[in-house]
Amino acid sequence: MKRPKGSRVYAPLGTLLVGSMIAGAVAIGHTWGDALIAEIVTVIVSLVYFFVTGRDSDVGAIYGQRSDERQQQVRASASRLGFIAAVSAAYVCAAISVASNESYWQPDVIVAVGGMGFLIGIAKYGAHDERATSVYRGVMSSGAEPDGERATDDVATPHDVEQENSQSDG
Amino acid sequence: MLSTLDIMKNEVREQRRQRGLSQIDLASGLGVSRQTIIAIESGKYSPSLPLAFRIARFFKQPVESMFDPEEEEIGG
Repeated sequence: MKRPKGSRVYAPLGTLLVGSMIAGAVAIGHTWGDALIAEIVTVIVSLVYFFVTGRDSDVGAIYGQRSDERQQQVRASASRLGFIAAVSAAYVCAAISVASNESYWQPDVIVAVGGMGFLIGIAKYGAHDERATSVYRGVMSSGAEPDGERATDDVATPHDVEQENSQSDG
Repeated sequence: MLSTLDIMKNEVREQRRQRGLSQIDLASGLGVSRQTIIAIESGKYSPSLPLAFRIARFFKQPVESMFDPEEEEIGG
């Protein structure tokens, strides 16, 4: 298990970057005082992340980019749970927004992007038939087959059996 | 689908103790975290095939003697 150099600072730096961008947006849309509060919160959260990444624990290894195979499974399961929670919350927000006759494009974007990411994830990480061409593989497959060749291995259809029988009879 | 736990009994703790190794020693020898050794020894996690072979080689034992492949059923 090699630990990439400087990996411990990736999560805190990412948090600092994103948080500072939000603080900048707050400065543009609100007041400098609000932006200062947002930046202070960002720095505190980043420091907490930095502290956590140094700990000898699952969460420390995951945030510190040094997770082993079990911790990667833990991260995948936790990501799944987080995804379900985020999309569920977005659905609830969309329903509330629609009911109160307000704009609902924000939760709509979250659900749409999350759903697309899910499908892309299945296409990318799922197992595919090696003989299938790029046209016929993945979730976008229509079930059609390349000319004269089945995409699946050695699975005889009733039509094939009928043809073979008629050939042997003739 | 048969409801089973994909957890196998293993001899990791016994082999480690026989050699007087700590969980940290074993973890660093296998290149995994101490928490993963704890999870394997307590039967909460079944290692991947590559890690199972690494464990067997570490203890110079055949894989099948380190891990009991019998699945434990949890209901029907």
